Amino acid sequence: MGFVVGVHVATNLRILGMAPGIPLSLMRRFSSVFWVSLVFVSLSGVLLLIAYPAKALTNPVFYLKLSAIVMALFITRSLAKGVLQDPSYDVGPPPRQARVLATVSIFLWAGAVTSGRFLAYTYKILMASHQY
Amino acid sequence: MVEALLDFSHWSRIYDFLNSSWGWPTIESLHFIGLSLLIGTVGLFDLRMIGLAKGIPMSALHRLVPWGIAGYGLNVLTGFMFVSTAPDQYLFNPAFQTKLALMVIAGINVLFFYRFQFDRVKRAGAKASAQRGAKIAAAVSLTCWIGVIVCGRLITYYRPPYYWCFWC
Repeated sequence: MGFVVGVHVATNLRILGMAPGIPLSLMRRFSSVFWVSLVFVSLSGVLLLIAYPAKALTNPVFYLKLSAIVMALFITRSLAKGVLQDPSYDVGPPPRQARVLATVSIFLWAGAVTSGRFLAYTYKILMASHQY
Repeated sequence: MVEALLDFSHWSRIYDFLNSSWGWPTIESLHFIGLSLLIGTVGLFDLRMIGLAKGIPMSALHRLVPWGIAGYGLNVLTGFMFVSTAPDQYLFNPAFQTKLALMVIAGINVLFFYRFQFDRVKRAGAKASAQRGAKIAAAVSLTCWIGVIVCGRLITYYRPPYYWCFWC
């Protein structure tokens, strides 16, 4: 999680104008870190889901978390195909639309982390077998 | 120690807040956001020194590090809130003790890096590799912080009795 969110933190901060000396298009070289970490969190997430399916599936917060992640990943794709591919933005500020997307992305990742933490405290059912 | 921390937690109302229905997960979320800031800036800087993403000047990437320091500060603050509210669950907990030890090593590593390695890293070209000393410091940093996160997660799964405390 640290690296999945972390790579986005760094890329989005750069899009928003921090550390302007970093050539923006080269931030893509960290995408392998992001993909490898995404595989790790997805696999461990699926394992946790298999272990306690009722706990997550009956909790609306779980769907909030998943939608935040999916929306954030759409932004990642859009930025990767847009400003991150265009070396003309290596120096100077990227267009306004990219900066808006970067801001939304930061909030979506923060929301995904927050809903993930709340999942451990807001569930109503731990195991379906406890219902009978 | 346990009593002093608890007294402070009660006195400052941190105790009441963390024991309210949303208190603990709210502060935990901030703690996780802080760790993402640290890993996303310091972690990527370490990876660049080890040899990933050559082409990004290390001095330019280092400009993100203050965000990591902000995340660290946030986590010291939120972490202290947890420890002061349930000190017996932390102080005697081997996972917490290991976490603190790794943080001390990471801290010494920071001093070593900025005292002996940073000047050369700062002057290196965009495509250059870092010198060996800086690579070692980067590897130590990554290992420590990943270890800190793992130990942090493990704290929850130990409920140590007080006699696990080896200094009391």
